[in-house]
Amino acid sequence: MTTIFPSEAWLKNLEAKINSDEKYKEIAKNWEGDLFFFIEPEGNLKERLTFYLDLWHGTCRKVVYKPDASDFPNPTFTLTASYNNITDVLTGKLNPMTAMMTMKLKVQGSMGYMMRNVPTVLDFVRVAQEVTDEIL
Amino acid sequence: MLPILKINLTTNQTEEFIIPKEWEKDFIGGASLGARILYSHLTKELNPLSPESPLLFINGPLSGTNGPTTGRFVICGKSPATNLWAESNIGGFWGPELRKAGYDGLWITGKASSQVYVWIQDGRFEVRPAAHIWGQDVYETQETIKAEIGVKNARVACIGEAGENQVLYASICCDHGRMAGRTGLGAVMGSKNLKAIAVQGTQKFEVTQEYVRLRSESNRMLKQDNESRVMNEVGTAGAANYAEYLGAMPSKYYQQGVFENVDNVSGVKMTETILVGRSACQGCVIACGRVVNLGDGQKRKGPEYETIVGFGPNLLIEDLHEVTRLGELCDKYGMDTISTANTIGLAFKLFDDGKITLQDTGGLVLDWGNFLSVRQLIRMIARREGIGDLLANGARQFGKSFNSEDEAVQVNGLEVAYHDPRGVSGMALSYATSPRGACHNQSDYFFVDWGHTHEQIGINFYERQAQAEKAANVAKHQDWRTHYNSVVICIFASVSPEMQVDLLNAQLNLNWTIEDLIKSGERAWNLKRAINNRLGVTRQNDKLPKALLEPYQEGGSAGFVPDIQGMLSAYYEARGWDWETGKPKKEKLIELGLDEMVKDLWE
Repeated sequence: MTTIFPSEAWLKNLEAKINSDEKYKEIAKNWEGDLFFFIEPEGNLKERLTFYLDLWHGTCRKVVYKPDASDFPNPTFTLTASYNNITDVLTGKLNPMTAMMTMKLKVQGSMGYMMRNVPTVLDFVRVAQEVTDEIL
Repeated sequence: MLPILKINLTTNQTEEFIIPKEWEKDFIGGASLGARILYSHLTKELNPLSPESPLLFINGPLSGTNGPTTGRFVICGKSPATNLWAESNIGGFWGPELRKAGYDGLWITGKASSQVYVWIQDGRFEVRPAAHIWGQDVYETQETIKAEIGVKNARVACIGEAGENQVLYASICCDHGRMAGRTGLGAVMGSKNLKAIAVQGTQKFEVTQEYVRLRSESNRMLKQDNESRVMNEVGTAGAANYAEYLGAMPSKYYQQGVFENVDNVSGVKMTETILVGRSACQGCVIACGRVVNLGDGQKRKGPEYETIVGFGPNLLIEDLHEVTRLGELCDKYGMDTISTANTIGLAFKLFDDGKITLQDTGGLVLDWGNFLSVRQLIRMIARREGIGDLLANGARQFGKSFNSEDEAVQVNGLEVAYHDPRGVSGMALSYATSPRGACHNQSDYFFVDWGHTHEQIGINFYERQAQAEKAANVAKHQDWRTHYNSVVICIFASVSPEMQVDLLNAQLNLNWTIEDLIKSGERAWNLKRAINNRLGVTRQNDKLPKALLEPYQEGGSAGFVPDIQGMLSAYYEARGWDWETGKPKKEKLIELGLDEMVKDLWE
């Protein structure tokens, strides 16, 4: 089945992939932290989109599509990007490190934790890219 | 910019040098303007440690205006380590204070007949005896002088014992351990019997309303920037884990591409264990400086990335407390930590290889991880005692002393910093072509190889181990960083080109474009090349040491070495440099308005 980003099916597939990917499990074995994404409207995305992932020791414990920010008031990281920038990352057009270092992806949370776990972050992006068949 | 005060320490005479307006227009300020000012004075015959050797302290046009990281200044001259162009960029508060005292630079020549320090207050100049402070460390020196002149808020740039003893990588320090570390200008200062320069002033800077608006906006954006927040939270060494993962952080003197326990010495670990505060240079909102407590109740400067890797992984030392103390010892003696750790690393390797014996070391065992030996060596270098006298001449000369010059990880006499071109290949060109030897600051291209692009000015992302295809990109990045070193702003400041040109235009009432800034950077890069050509540099100087051309067996960059010849060929093409001579071609010099250099290089 083709998975289109953004959609609830995409997020569920991402959850399943994280929980079955051995490489990610190994690299992210020390990761403890949930992510709240804000995708700002641009191009085909007409309204601000949110999604949430709870990542823990190489697994994904929970995902929520279009949550309210108040549902998860203190995520470990809040990540904000425009729709085009996030889809460029998912399609491999934009290097995720470039996205972070040029503020195309704004990061709120412990930068130290992020720097210690860059390999985990990069492998999370790999997994997300692998479940992305099409862009809206 | 304000005048430069010329000081002849032999005669104690001074005169004001008014910077020609067309030079300011072409070179902006800082290191670029310094190169223009010193161009005709830096001859091949000039001994960098002779009285005739110039030592130029120079600001940029925005120094002290509280713009984004604009509190910095540059020190320039001829390097005793490389015998080539020397520049070293330094933060703290000294540069802005000099401007408040009425000058944007000090141009020092001559040699005092006895040890002295200089005291400048609101345009008033005085030379004072310094025999009683000769031998004091850089922090004691600052305190002694401030007490003596009775001005608590004076700022003092000074040398330690390493500069006094003309260690070829002696640094100049100001404020809270801010160092002009590279190229050995502390030795030049020492050769002039000049211990320190104290400055204080009360002049106010005029800033335009538009500049005030833009600096607020740019500082606000800079503070929110992801990279700034990394620097603030975990310091420059926050990148240690990632650099090690990429195989871009050398260990065991560039022989090992992995350092398993990197986390023990990382900036993140520092933050979690010993960090008690942060420090900033004048007007800086990033505050990458570390203040640490090692459990003895004392607050001290914490090490940055280069010091951590140099004394940590490079020497296989895993104890962050010890690495901190070793860095502090270098600072106190006024000695560049990159070159010190690199040269000691070479000694460890040669000891390991049996090329240095206990007889050479005076009984000191140089085994990897032995921080007690490192501590001893640092003292011996600063005082030029025993084997320290050889080490004080830098890795190239030290290697030569033991018939092992090719083992020294250096380019043109400047020791390589701790960003390995096998993991981030752009650094191959940064090191091979930098005007001051193996320098990571003339183009910190490792950031681009990690992903920090500047798309607005055509600095794009290439794979971190790409080869010749990134050569033109490296050249553009060098030009952009040369612009930074002219303004003078910190390379950690992610300020957009648009904002930079707006800030300059608002304050200086100009109509510069982004292209003008990049062109100015390119002009200065070529001017510095012309200086070095006149000092003897040819294409044969553009090279990498043997160690960086041998692949690592393990880690994130295993098996890769940069194709330096292929990269250089593409680089020369992009630069418009002549492959036979290593000089900028005539037409390139003319295009950049460097007609005077055409005559000197080609006629």
